[in-house]
Amino acid sequence: MIENTKCECGHQNPVDTVLCEACGKPLGDEDGTGVLEMRYDGVARRSQRKKRTLLDQVWSFFSSVKVAVYLIIITLCLAVLGTIYPQENTFIGLDPAEYYAENHGTLGQIYYALGLSRTYESWWFLGLLVMIGTSLVVCSLDRVLPLYRALNKQQVRKHPQFLARQRVVYRDKLFGIEDEDDPERRRQREEEWLNRFAERLRKKFYRVYVRDSALMAEKNRFSRWGPYINHIGLIIFLLAALMRTIIPGWYLDEYVSIMEGDIQRLPGTNYYLKNEKFTVEFYGEDEMSPELWEQGRIIPKLFETKAVLYECVRYCDDESAESPELEERLRHDIRVNDPLKYEGVMAYQFDYQFTPQILSIQVELKDRETGQSYGSFDLVTNNPDTSYAVGPYELSLINYYPDFAYENGKPTTKSSRPNAPAYIFSIKGPGVEDGTVHMYFPRPEDKARFAQDRVNEAAGSPFIIEAANMEDVEIALYTTFLNIRVDRGMPFIWIGAAICMIGLVMGFYWHHRRIWIRLDEGQLLLGAHTNKNWYGLRHEIAAALADLGIQVDPKSLVNEVNRS
Amino acid sequence: MTLQGVSNAFLVISFALYTLSFFGFVIAVTGSKWSNRDPEMHKKKWGRLAFGVTLAGWLAHVIFFITRWVYAGHIPISNMFEFMTFLGMMIILAFIVLYLIYGSPVTGVFAVPAGVVILGYASVFPWDVQPLVPSLNSHWLKIHVSLAAGGEAFFAIGFAAGLMYLLRTVDFQSKEKAARRERKGVEFTLYVVLVVVAFISLVFIFRGAGFEAVFLQEQAVETDDGEIQYVEEEVLYTLPPLFKPNHSELVSITPMLGMKDALFETPSFFQGVNAGRKWNTFVLSALAGLLLYALLRLVFRKPLGAVIQPVMKDMDPEDLDEISYRSIAIGFPIFTLGALIFAMIYAHIAWSRFWGWDPKEVWALITWLFYSAYLHLRLSRGWYGKKSSWLAVIGFVIVMFTLIGVNLVIAGLHSYAGV
Repeated sequence: MIENTKCECGHQNPVDTVLCEACGKPLGDEDGTGVLEMRYDGVARRSQRKKRTLLDQVWSFFSSVKVAVYLIIITLCLAVLGTIYPQENTFIGLDPAEYYAENHGTLGQIYYALGLSRTYESWWFLGLLVMIGTSLVVCSLDRVLPLYRALNKQQVRKHPQFLARQRVVYRDKLFGIEDEDDPERRRQREEEWLNRFAERLRKKFYRVYVRDSALMAEKNRFSRWGPYINHIGLIIFLLAALMRTIIPGWYLDEYVSIMEGDIQRLPGTNYYLKNEKFTVEFYGEDEMSPELWEQGRIIPKLFETKAVLYECVRYCDDESAESPELEERLRHDIRVNDPLKYEGVMAYQFDYQFTPQILSIQVELKDRETGQSYGSFDLVTNNPDTSYAVGPYELSLINYYPDFAYENGKPTTKSSRPNAPAYIFSIKGPGVEDGTVHMYFPRPEDKARFAQDRVNEAAGSPFIIEAANMEDVEIALYTTFLNIRVDRGMPFIWIGAAICMIGLVMGFYWHHRRIWIRLDEGQLLLGAHTNKNWYGLRHEIAAALADLGIQVDPKSLVNEVNRS
Repeated sequence: MTLQGVSNAFLVISFALYTLSFFGFVIAVTGSKWSNRDPEMHKKKWGRLAFGVTLAGWLAHVIFFITRWVYAGHIPISNMFEFMTFLGMMIILAFIVLYLIYGSPVTGVFAVPAGVVILGYASVFPWDVQPLVPSLNSHWLKIHVSLAAGGEAFFAIGFAAGLMYLLRTVDFQSKEKAARRERKGVEFTLYVVLVVVAFISLVFIFRGAGFEAVFLQEQAVETDDGEIQYVEEEVLYTLPPLFKPNHSELVSITPMLGMKDALFETPSFFQGVNAGRKWNTFVLSALAGLLLYALLRLVFRKPLGAVIQPVMKDMDPEDLDEISYRSIAIGFPIFTLGALIFAMIYAHIAWSRFWGWDPKEVWALITWLFYSAYLHLRLSRGWYGKKSSWLAVIGFVIVMFTLIGVNLVIAGLHSYAGV
């Protein structure tokens, strides 16, 4: 069956139009008296089609605000569930199954079994977010284009039913005009009255059209686009959040621990970072209130890593025989709230540890018997040199054990960290032409533990190696933990958030208002519509009418039908 | 007097002025029927007077804020006391804004006490200035926290007006099922407000009496090697111990009402820092609230909602609905900016990620999702009046849980703001 969609005003409307696009006459509900549904100005929307294909059905599902609200509520509830117990990513190195059973008993086990311990990474949660995203796109497209068309071609003189069934309505007789018998003069006076009213509204920043004894005034139409701009921002935001985990190279999240004085390659990048010094400060007595100080509270004030960033320019891969060639790029004091940033790579202060270690020590070579010093040299714990010349003697480093230990009676190193460094030298020179073996431990506790002096005596070494004084020892106290990040999606995240915010402000701090007036032989019929803040609209109309000598209580403008 | 003393004095002054202005608004609204008075004139006169007192109180509040900022050396929004006083200040500001738009003294009857209760709640927490930890030392802290509080303050007014709408429109005569359910809802909401009042009173009464009870609690602590060690820890109660901590012994107790020891032990499934004390405080407040409620019922001999309803008779329900909605609509963008967008920027700088599903973040998102559902239902599905008002009430409960509950119940990165 072909529906007749032509309105009595002569306008040919698309199928499923609710209010005539031209004159606003309700189609299909001509005899009703209730307030008109003014959403999207009653234009035909794809989702409201009566005949539907499968695509139409999917479209109409996602275009429904009801569905959108359900999606929001379900997401909200699941997000709540995710906060009942700590998520898995908040503890490191524990078996999650054990963790939940131990700490939260049976409920914890159920929580873990249901997968709620990974709520925000779960397929169902992400699925919901994707559905919300789809809903955002479809809802917006379904409404914005028809609405744009409707608002773009508005007729000034509307059908009386359209006006009488608005939420704000006012009827009156314009005395003096209705008694006018001469149609031409009446028309003239009507225009005159409307022009005066128009002038009044223009002062309130309305755009006013007067035609055929009718008036249409409109302002802040742009506010109607607020929700759609907001939704576009949200879509960009969601897409950016999704993309950054999909596109290779967009996202990096690594941790490095660098001891003071040490340099390390930042994993996954071509950069090296040197920790020149790490500082931790605590608030002192004069900076705290006496009560807090007495409680013995220790409150940190500053965590800072003096960092130097290098870029590797040659021999960067591990297999290459040469050590990598580095060029300094940036110096920055990394603090909490002040990360290092270079070309999209960011280094954040994350944690620190107190790890006192000897970095280098200046030692003296002495004769055991006489105590005579032959000279001094520097020993470093990180890649020490293999030969040293001290006075007449030639020292060559036969073996270096950063973390010395005996295993089956043989010396070995437990790790590559300098926890208990030990040096074994071969010393040649006057009196020891064939060379003698000498062992040296920089840390006093290791000296005693591994009986350094007895071993040297047994080996027949006529020497002593010892630190000249404590000032000649360079010590690293702290290891800094840095979080290395690359997040190339961030600009899109911020752009999305900014657009969303612009849309919200447009939509919520301005209100689209329209006022229609029809004069029919001196009878005034006024209808008005806004999408929010009816209170403001009523006051504005009452004030405008008052200026033209019609006193009305703003409250009385509420359409009586609506007050049921 | 030190600057700190001056500052605290101004907070007390503002608290007193708010309380005074509340009575002013009550007189403005209820007194219009008094004999020999022109109701309109009366309402206008007292409304203006009360609003003036509110403004003066707010000024004192701002002076408190600024002086505290000066002597603390950083913006005072970094612990629970400071944040709650700031939220109170924002609530009164939001009320001032809406009063200037709508000029309705009835809003003051509800919005001002909302601010007063929040201030009372704030005063329970330690008033000391605490130095800033490094992660809080950022300009984004100021912007993030102040805007978030601003948005939440408008939600608070939305709640107050929504509750007023319900008190105005709920039918206290009808025997219908729906009306009965609504009455119960209103009574429960009022009861919850009374619980908060009871909590504040309890703390001050027992603090004034110098009450203290100390328990020694045995706690299992996991060492770095994964072994379980038992450590004994002292737990201090400043409220009478109905529930003692799990696995604990009484050490000392201030003699009061012949109380020798706690009656019960906190069940072991309450986890977290000081779970026993929090549970005890919660139960005590709930009971004291019940007592308060029962007392009021005894005095008035009818539901509290029915007591308040006549006061609301002159109020136009549509205006209340509008104010509630408008307040939320003004607050929503501010909340989005402060509690989500600026929070993300801050998190990106301080914690290296803009979003990490920390409980506080999730609850901010939950709040935002809830209010966006509210707005969609209202704007697109025509949820006006009662439905909308109930949502405004529930929404604020979510806000308060995000602000307080998360810190009390769930541990997380925002725990420095804890009790």
